[in-house]
Amino acid sequence: MRRYPTWPIHLALLLTACVMLVPFYWVFKTSITGENIFSYPPSLLPVDPQPFFYVDAWYAIPFPRFFLNSVIVAVMVIVANLFINAAAGYALTKNFAGKRWIILLFLACMMIPFHATIIPAYLITAKLGLLNSYLGLGLPAFSHIICIFIFKASFDAIPPSLIQAAKIDGVPERDIMLKIMLPLAKPAVATTIILSFIWSWNDFLWPLIIVRDVEMQTLPLGLSTFLAYFEDTTGALYAFCTMVLAPGLLVFLLAQKEFIQGLTSGARKG
Amino acid sequence: MATASTSSHQSRIGGGRTVAPSARRGLFARKRHRELALIWVLLIPALAIFLLYRVIPLLWNVVLSFQFWSPTKPSEWAGLYHYEEMWVYDDVFWEALTNTFKYMLTAPIAIILAIGLALMVNSRIRGRTVYRTIIFMSYPLMVVAVGIIWRWLYDENVGLINYLLRSLGIIDRPIAFLETFATALPSVIAAAIWQIIGFFMIILLTGLQNIPPNLYEAASIDGASRWSQFWRITLPLLRPSIFLCFIIGIIASFTSFDLIYVMTGGGPGHATELLITYIYKAAFTLTQFDYAGALTVVMFVLFVGLALIANALAGGEAGKVDIAD
Amino acid sequence: MINRRYVIGTAAAIGLLASTLAADRAAAQDKTLTLLTWNLPIYEEKFQGWIADFQEMHPDFTVEWLDKKGTEYATFYQTQLVAGTAPDIIDVQGMLWAEYAADDGLVDLTPYLEEHPDIKARYNPEGLEFWQYDGKQYMLPYYFSKTLMVYNKKLFEEAGIEGPPTNFDEILDDAGKIAATGEGRSGFITLNFDWLYWALFAMNDIDLLNEGMTEAAFNTPEMVDAVTKLAEATQSGAINNISWTGRWVEPNNAFAAGDIGMYQGHGAALFWIMGQADWANADTLGVVEWPGGWGVPNAHGLGISASTEYPDEAFDFIAIALNDKWQTTMADTFTILTLNETVDAELIADTEDPLKQETLELSLANMDKATGDWVTPLDARIKEAFYPELQAALLGQKDPAEAIEAAESNVNRVIRRGNR
Repeated sequence: MRRYPTWPIHLALLLTACVMLVPFYWVFKTSITGENIFSYPPSLLPVDPQPFFYVDAWYAIPFPRFFLNSVIVAVMVIVANLFINAAAGYALTKNFAGKRWIILLFLACMMIPFHATIIPAYLITAKLGLLNSYLGLGLPAFSHIICIFIFKASFDAIPPSLIQAAKIDGVPERDIMLKIMLPLAKPAVATTIILSFIWSWNDFLWPLIIVRDVEMQTLPLGLSTFLAYFEDTTGALYAFCTMVLAPGLLVFLLAQKEFIQGLTSGARKG
Repeated sequence: MATASTSSHQSRIGGGRTVAPSARRGLFARKRHRELALIWVLLIPALAIFLLYRVIPLLWNVVLSFQFWSPTKPSEWAGLYHYEEMWVYDDVFWEALTNTFKYMLTAPIAIILAIGLALMVNSRIRGRTVYRTIIFMSYPLMVVAVGIIWRWLYDENVGLINYLLRSLGIIDRPIAFLETFATALPSVIAAAIWQIIGFFMIILLTGLQNIPPNLYEAASIDGASRWSQFWRITLPLLRPSIFLCFIIGIIASFTSFDLIYVMTGGGPGHATELLITYIYKAAFTLTQFDYAGALTVVMFVLFVGLALIANALAGGEAGKVDIAD
Repeated sequence: MINRRYVIGTAAAIGLLASTLAADRAAAQDKTLTLLTWNLPIYEEKFQGWIADFQEMHPDFTVEWLDKKGTEYATFYQTQLVAGTAPDIIDVQGMLWAEYAADDGLVDLTPYLEEHPDIKARYNPEGLEFWQYDGKQYMLPYYFSKTLMVYNKKLFEEAGIEGPPTNFDEILDDAGKIAATGEGRSGFITLNFDWLYWALFAMNDIDLLNEGMTEAAFNTPEMVDAVTKLAEATQSGAINNISWTGRWVEPNNAFAAGDIGMYQGHGAALFWIMGQADWANADTLGVVEWPGGWGVPNAHGLGISASTEYPDEAFDFIAIALNDKWQTTMADTFTILTLNETVDAELIADTEDPLKQETLELSLANMDKATGDWVTPLDARIKEAFYPELQAALLGQKDPAEAIEAAESNVNRVIRRGNR
């Protein structure tokens, strides 16, 4: 087979990588530059790099508190998603009357935009007495339909003979699920963790409405408060953006292998 | 998610194997009964959440769309008033609808680019995991922050994009990308593609890796060119992954509220108004929750319709992805 | 078995939920007032001061303070309103209050003012009128400013212009001259939220609505003429196009860069610019009224949600928040007018910066020429029906006559639909 030169591919990928990275660089550059960020032409390299915008951002809002709130909500959402979605995904691998309808219901639910459901969602949360609480912040995100299907797909991909063998050996249903299926669905677990983390960490509108106390605010709300202080006139906004984005990026970089596997675990065996 | 139809076979076979000999029918019935109970117990938490936060709110919108409703006054029956308003009089609705369709172009453009990227990253070149990571890195970011960053990049006076275009001599007057009617929507779409392309690439990449290599070997023995291998083998076998990307893309075009809200707020005029931003505006700026309800219903119907069409178009195995399990 | 465990787990979760619920109920038995302010997190310490003073009077009350940014304020308030948990005391900007008032969402303060003539006597009577709907007083003035013309003396000199323009055509002429002085220069910029740009039309004898506010009144040859001229000036660069696309930050930043001749904005924004740009001071900038004395007020008032359980105490709270002591603090902190006559007079007298002093004085002059302050609950909808069309014309996207025609039919439709 004829070998093709690889440099055009490298060139194309390098260019793409640049396009993908430049916004990161630019926001970081703006956040540490010492010059007036509105001067033209903008300098490509940071001039007189300094950390003051970060100091500003740190003191403008109670960053550690907002960070902690975001973490608490994210952890709740992740745990809930793991249990609820694994359970639902497992149930969907079975055959039962009405399964088709349940799947259709799930798919239809995917198509209801959350933004259009704010008011009733708020009323329901109020009725549950969960306004201004961590549980109320997390509850609507406790199950993501995509994650259910990811679990279902990865359970489906487990060879039936394995389960059959376990059943013949008299392993109870619970142990089949917890000790055989769940460990085999590790990529799905990783994916659920990451996706539910991303969605919970980044959510803006729901916390905006549901939270009343400053002590309960999450980081995206901090961003909004931040704009209220400074408008977007100083590099501090970009310093804050960097601080808000970093944790999400970190989580992704640490878990990307499992994540990428899990995202497509269904297709793997297909 | 991208389960090909084989997985459904598996579960069907799996289900079939639980059928016990007829002699033990009584025992089987009890066992089956217990299994059913288990299935429903496992499903209930998820169902409860979707009922509370999706189904009931949708129904609430349906009811509202036939009423005159305000937070502080008793509601009145409105019949089709809001739908008539929307259909006959409201130009903004039509503009938002058109824009939503234009915004959906994000999906095919990003998919085509992502296929290219996936093919390249899939080739045996050095550093492909690094490329892959970099390209995917934009997906997990907070959309509000992404909007702020891109607004800054697009800035008319000190934005990087204008600066580069000017120093390269491509333009001589800066372009107010987000404030000009002709460029606002394409600019937002570009930012949306930037954010989602890595996600698509990963989905397609796994699709690629699942194509059995022996198919290519057989094809090269038959003397098929790389080009015809791509059209005859790669693309058809990627169909389930492409379909998945497409659905995710459509969902994004109906729900990408944060990006528009931060970058343009729907303007200039209504040049970047999408249905979702218009719904939000109708409810919270114009205080017409009833009208917003009608818009929501129309959007939902449209959405389901599109998904069904996409499903039918994808046809064959691709169409059976999970849906018709 | 797994399902039994699962059932127990679910039951435990529900139990936990119920107990949180009960805890919430118990907490709600205290008497609480909620104060919602508009984009003033920076003033937190003073809000706590209001609360402390109020608690001296009503020790059995707790007061919760919330602050929302302007863009999210309405979303937040309306959601709370639907759920019946609306904040009791609200700080509202612009005409949003009229919408709430027309929806029976606000407490009528008229009887309270009759009961407390001393409070009523604090205010400039014309100032109080900004918050009257249907003959009732719904809000009391919290802070106030009005659009004025700020001009860059250096650029005027460079362009060879004697003094600030005195009519609409002169404004455009001068803007053109300034833009011609150099690359990147433009002659005019305006803030653009609510109706802040309306003085431009008012000085051309154009009214948005007719007398009874039953119909659009702006589709006139004068309007077409004015819009055509503004659009041409925008295309030529005499008017900075951020005027029609920006809101608050963008025009302020642009003017602060020092390359724009005239600025249409209110005192608060001007002072913000002076804080940002060290070149901006009384030597480099002049301030005058717009031709004809027209100006658009931008005001905040305090009012009480009708859903409150404690309207009397809420009024006491407002009376404290707006007393001379706290309004003096407000005025001193932000160099802002309060419409409290004593406080304003003191503020003007004590302001040392001549540019600031001039700005404050002019803001209170010609109150009868205030425009862009139509008291209608349909304000937000009229804006949505009107501005996108006007914007399309100003940015050269649409023929002015056509755009005005379309805007007229949109606005009339909104009015005919009324409050539904």
